[in-house]
Amino acid sequence: MAVPFGYVLALAGIVALLGICCAVARRNLIMILLGVEVMLNGAAIAFTGAALRWQQLEGQAFVLFIIAVAAAEVSLGLALIVYLYHRTGSLDPQDYRVLK
Amino acid sequence: MTAAAATDATLIAALLATKLPFVAFAVILVLTRGRPRLSAGLSLAAVTVSLGGAAFLLVRHWGLGRPIEYAAQWVAGGDVSVRVGILLDPLSLIMLAIVATICFLVQVYSLGYMAGDPGFSRYYAFMSLFAWAMTNLTLAATLLQLYIFWELVGLASYLLIGFWYEKFSASEAGKKAFVMTRCGDVAFFLGLLLILVHLGNLDIRELNGPAAGRMSPAVVTAGALLIFGGIVGKSAQFPLLTWLPDAMEGPTPVSALLHSATMVAAGVYLFARLFPFFALSPTALGVCLAVGTVSMLTASTMAMVSRDIKQVWAYSTISQLGLMIMGLAAGGYAAGVFHLTTHAAFKALLFLCSGVFIHAFHSNDMFVIGRQGGRRLRVPAACLVIAAAALSGIWPFSGFFSKELVLGALADLPNPLWVAAGLLGAFLTTYYTFRLIFILLFPAQKGPEKIHSQGAGHNHHGGYAAMAWPLVVLAAVTVVLGFGEHAIVQFLSRPFGPVPAAAHHGWLPYAALGLGAAAVWLAWFEFGRRGAAQIGFVERVAPLHALFSERWYIDRAYRWLLDHVVYRVLSRMCAGSDRKVIDGAVDGLGQATASAGGIMSILHTGMVQYRLIVVFVAIVGLAIYFFVWEHHGR
Repeated sequence: MAVPFGYVLALAGIVALLGICCAVARRNLIMILLGVEVMLNGAAIAFTGAALRWQQLEGQAFVLFIIAVAAAEVSLGLALIVYLYHRTGSLDPQDYRVLK
Repeated sequence: MTAAAATDATLIAALLATKLPFVAFAVILVLTRGRPRLSAGLSLAAVTVSLGGAAFLLVRHWGLGRPIEYAAQWVAGGDVSVRVGILLDPLSLIMLAIVATICFLVQVYSLGYMAGDPGFSRYYAFMSLFAWAMTNLTLAATLLQLYIFWELVGLASYLLIGFWYEKFSASEAGKKAFVMTRCGDVAFFLGLLLILVHLGNLDIRELNGPAAGRMSPAVVTAGALLIFGGIVGKSAQFPLLTWLPDAMEGPTPVSALLHSATMVAAGVYLFARLFPFFALSPTALGVCLAVGTVSMLTASTMAMVSRDIKQVWAYSTISQLGLMIMGLAAGGYAAGVFHLTTHAAFKALLFLCSGVFIHAFHSNDMFVIGRQGGRRLRVPAACLVIAAAALSGIWPFSGFFSKELVLGALADLPNPLWVAAGLLGAFLTTYYTFRLIFILLFPAQKGPEKIHSQGAGHNHHGGYAAMAWPLVVLAAVTVVLGFGEHAIVQFLSRPFGPVPAAAHHGWLPYAALGLGAAAVWLAWFEFGRRGAAQIGFVERVAPLHALFSERWYIDRAYRWLLDHVVYRVLSRMCAGSDRKVIDGAVDGLGQATASAGGIMSILHTGMVQYRLIVVFVAIVGLAIYFFVWEHHGR
């Protein structure tokens, strides 16, 4: 293993943290969705590294599932966002407080 | 073996007689409402079986010495036990026969009277309900059972008075009857509770036996007076008498069956049922005597000015029931019950005859019927005269014999006031009865010929035969029943041991007949003779006329009581408590929930990203916690 596993985990943590920051801090629904995608990628990196570290293929298989789920999720999420934008004309999450 | 078989047959007959009408009621209501002929057939079949059972029981147990009772435990707990069962003694056997006979005849008559009515099936269903409740009331072995069926006949009465509920006055009259009788029934129920607490059970035989004597006299008096409250309501005695004239809004056969012959007589029946119990309290008997007398006289005066043919008979029913209560309260047990028997026959006959006139001329006004040629209906007119003669106590019709018995019982009392009141009542009764007869049969001026033929044309209605032959049967009974006086009185008195020879009042029949003749002459002079003005002596005195036709202002008094006490004070208090206490509590609950939600909604920012932050913070916190914990755990 060319790169130590600790580095891989650190990279995965950084990517996930970036995703969290994006999902929490940006005031745009699309960017929140994007942040969630980035977090999923962080998790995928951790899985890939672990698969390499222990020489188990299940980790890589799991990553394929994560990518598939992420693709499905982003298409559904984008559809919802488009619909919401048509209804309200806004992408700011602060404007969606009807239930309060 | 034979004894067992005999009791079995008796039990089966009693059960059939009392339970089948309910089956008819249920089947008609559930299955055959859309088929009037089938419904009427079912109801008639049930009541025919009832009549057969009643006749079988009466014939089989004629001369019954000791009462027969079939009973089973129903409620038992601590010192209290209540049973249900069937009690057969001379009184209940005779009453059952009366009820079944009149029910049967009235149902046959209704085939003609109610023909074509849209509610024909409903009518027969209610009639079956009434027949069921009334026969069970008659044979009830305990007071609680009697009370249940007592309320059920009240329900049947309410339903049948308001039978034509599209008519406002009819539904109002139904409500009035229901509420007024309920006033008395509350007293009745309190009386039952009082007796139950002090005696431990409600068996009629026990109550009439020596056990009741162990209760203190004050309790006996209070119980008797409270039960008498129920009798006052049901039998429309003073002061709860004004519901009965209004109850005439119902169909005429209903008036004949419920509101003259049987249901209102249930009050008197209860009095007779508990006669030995009432006899324990002279105070209660005194009150009963006074109430009966007042009812009899006031109702007679009201009947003297009414123009409505059914109202006259309604007042007359009140007054005759008052006379029965007087007779019973004076100690004339057999006299009161015998008058009940004869009255049932001739008063049902009076109503059914009037029903034919009303059916043919579409009017309740006796002047209108007379003018349109009422006497052309020969059979009803003849039967009406027979029944009226019986009501007036004219020999040889049944009313003569029973009224003599009651007056004899009154004459036995030390105070001559009561017998004087009784004679005055008999005089007034004869006067108003023959006033009606003369107005009906000898109208002052004839109406146009056109209406004549229309009225006569109703003779050939298909239902006329169904309406005519019950009249003939009842008229025959009215003529014959008086001569059965001795046998019936002997039969009734048997459970009380040998009849003591009553003091003989030789002058009494002559006095009664003389007064009756005077009353008939007075009525003839004022209404019957050629060229009579047809204005009674009461109508010449304006204040008296107003007093009588306003029913002694009893209804006005009730209205005042309702307006000023019930609506203005009681209802207002209830409405206030409803608004403030109940509505306030419910509203308060809602408002409290809403404000609690307001407080809780502070936690809700309505902002999805803040929630995300919370989620992440929680995850990080948990991660740190597990990390530290894991290390300590190792």
